[in-house]
Amino acid sequence: MDVNSFLATLTNKHKITPVKTFENGADELYVETNQAGFGAFCLALHQELCSPVMAMFARDLDDKFQIYCAFMNFQTQTWVFVTMKILKTEPEFKSIALQIYSANLFEREIKEMFGLHHLGNPDNRRLHLHEEVWPQGFYPLRHDFIPPNNEPSSAEYEFSLVEGEGVFEVPVGPVHAGIIAPGHFRFSVAGEPIINLEIRLGFTHRGVEKLLENKTPLECLKISECVAGDSAFAHSWAFCCALEKINRINVPDKAVNIRMILLELERMYNHVADLGGIALDVGFSPAQALSAIIKESIHVLNEKLTGSRFLKGVNVVGGVAKDLDFTAGKRIVDSLIQIRRDFKELETILMSSVSFLDRVDTTGVLRKKTAQDLGVYGLAGRAAGIKIDTRKGFMPCYDQVDFKLCSSASGDALSRLKVRMEEFSQSVNIICQLTEKLDNGKIVADDINIKPGFALGCVEGWRGPVLYWVNLNDVGKIDRVKIVDPSFRSWQGLAYAVLGEIIPDFPLCNKSFNLSYPGRDL
Amino acid sequence: MIEIACLAFLSPLLSGIISKIKNNLRFRQGPSIFQPYFNLSKYFSKEEVVSSSCSWLFRLTPYIVFAATLSALLLISFNRVGDLIAVIFLFSLARFFLALAGLDPATTFGGMGSSREMFIASLVEPVAMLSVFAIALSAKTTNLTFIFAQQSMSVPTIMATLALFLVALAETGRIPIDNQETHLELTMIHEAMVLEYSGRSLGLLELAGYFKQVFFFWLISSLILPGFNEPVFLIIKMLVLCLVVAAVEVSLAKMRLFRVVDFLSFAGILSAMAIVALVLGA
Repeated sequence: MDVNSFLATLTNKHKITPVKTFENGADELYVETNQAGFGAFCLALHQELCSPVMAMFARDLDDKFQIYCAFMNFQTQTWVFVTMKILKTEPEFKSIALQIYSANLFEREIKEMFGLHHLGNPDNRRLHLHEEVWPQGFYPLRHDFIPPNNEPSSAEYEFSLVEGEGVFEVPVGPVHAGIIAPGHFRFSVAGEPIINLEIRLGFTHRGVEKLLENKTPLECLKISECVAGDSAFAHSWAFCCALEKINRINVPDKAVNIRMILLELERMYNHVADLGGIALDVGFSPAQALSAIIKESIHVLNEKLTGSRFLKGVNVVGGVAKDLDFTAGKRIVDSLIQIRRDFKELETILMSSVSFLDRVDTTGVLRKKTAQDLGVYGLAGRAAGIKIDTRKGFMPCYDQVDFKLCSSASGDALSRLKVRMEEFSQSVNIICQLTEKLDNGKIVADDINIKPGFALGCVEGWRGPVLYWVNLNDVGKIDRVKIVDPSFRSWQGLAYAVLGEIIPDFPLCNKSFNLSYPGRDL
Repeated sequence: MIEIACLAFLSPLLSGIISKIKNNLRFRQGPSIFQPYFNLSKYFSKEEVVSSSCSWLFRLTPYIVFAATLSALLLISFNRVGDLIAVIFLFSLARFFLALAGLDPATTFGGMGSSREMFIASLVEPVAMLSVFAIALSAKTTNLTFIFAQQSMSVPTIMATLALFLVALAETGRIPIDNQETHLELTMIHEAMVLEYSGRSLGLLELAGYFKQVFFFWLISSLILPGFNEPVFLIIKMLVLCLVVAAVEVSLAKMRLFRVVDFLSFAGILSAMAIVALVLGA
């Protein structure tokens, strides 16, 4: 379906016409609407494309604000952005979250960062800038923002209250016993079963998007690697991808191959660590010990290949900084033989232990409808039956390798475990296919000159799609970056998956998702 | 009396040995087998922090628990006085106070721990009683001294001993019932109750835990192959038991909380069958 017929369908069927449309590169379509038509257009796209809101963000145009709302078009494997402009004198817009629930978190974020009120949305709670520490009336992503120096108001966050006989509230965190990032979990329980879980995050909000403003792409690349430490490579690739799209840079084939190999290595070390983590949380320690060995051997391989255990400092705009030659390819294959052998053993240990399977089977079920409504994509979504992997279609470089989209239908902890296992094996296959192609080609594109413009970079990290929407200003510096880590939406999925489970099973459910705190607390 | 002093002194060693075996089974080196002693000396030399919202109960409990468990251990040696049923009651007394102390600071995890501990206790205690009755029926006495003087082992006593072993796993907070190694407060049972304790109080509670463990190990060891109850053989049997417990802990995952019912019912049925067999056999 080409763009015009697609728009014609929308116009005829839903009786709405856009103000202006334009294509940005091969795979992005921007549709500008007026304020009244924005909601209707988003809803029509949401229904036509069966896509949740993948990203929704605002931008300060100095005289106006512009709001973008991005959807995925699975048929043509493109992105559709609906945009509208808002006058600075009337900083408000009609909420679309009542019709499209996956927009809710984004709307709350826009309200907090830009002070644009989402009219009609009853959910006014703060996401990142907690009432206790951040005074009202300061909107950090506006260009004219001045850091607050007055005291925050005495307002307190209100948790949703569950009342009834024998219902207790169990507050957990933000400081936990293990060495993990902070998050507050408020359980409402009747005995052991969980009636409601409210997750409050944002304790480690670092203001990444503000930090990136007015910096050169090179400086931002370093920061993007630190957004979520366990997905350093996916984040930096997504950032590079956006810049390469803006500047129409043709990345050499060899650089793309190296990136794919390293992305799969990142996926592998995280997946195997999670398998061990899940086992450890149910007290099944030998599996964790073996998984730690496998994880470490992948880290060692990473270090030998790139000098960084976490694959930092590899991606550069236009290619990669570290060359992998034929001998490196041989080294990878050699290491993979041992890793694959150990992994088989780990699989056998996990899948042959009745006591372990008893714990994970049917625990923490995330239903497909819930995942779809919340926009839980990526690993957790695939385990719930949403067969979407942006490597299939949205990342054209993956067309040259043969791999299976791994999914499961039941959405419980066991299916998340199985999807991880399958994806690990698929990653090994992908890497083996790619190492044969390592030749003596170039690893960085020649013609790199930074031009103004905007584009969306998308990379399927191990948790799910990592999105970077980047806008460069006239002097080639960053005007606005919107980062969407899959964890942002998936945390809500966890809150639904644990309902009806008992409290001692929560750590297991949590680990089976293993969401990122820093990815959520940008 | 010397025997008891040795048992008490060596009790932390059991945990050290089990932990060492577990770590070796997981391809790890693990801390030295004397680590529990280092931990104890650390606890006793550290300052104690007590929440201001705690009552006298919280401070008193470690002493009660320690005293009750030590008395249980002492009952082993007092000739013709040591009674197996009294031991079970002493452990219940300790548990009662510990559960109250878990609730006392009104923290998130203490209450959950106490509630779970009582839930499991309601299953453990009847099963422990049943297996004790089976052993007593076989020996025709509940007096520990006479029970240990038994020379032969019948099928019902083997069943009762097995039930007692399952009870011991639950009583000492081991996988598949509880997990001593976890840092996840939400899954803890025993550890959650004592989470607020520090310093000397924690040391006493830990020590009481070691006493309880050594009591169960010693009891089970004496019931197995009762012909060989000289100290050397007892020690060997206890070491074998350590190996078994470590193997169980490494090869199983922790059960879902409500599955514990099935696990302990199995132990209950074993001891009930032992009693039936004994009554019918006699």
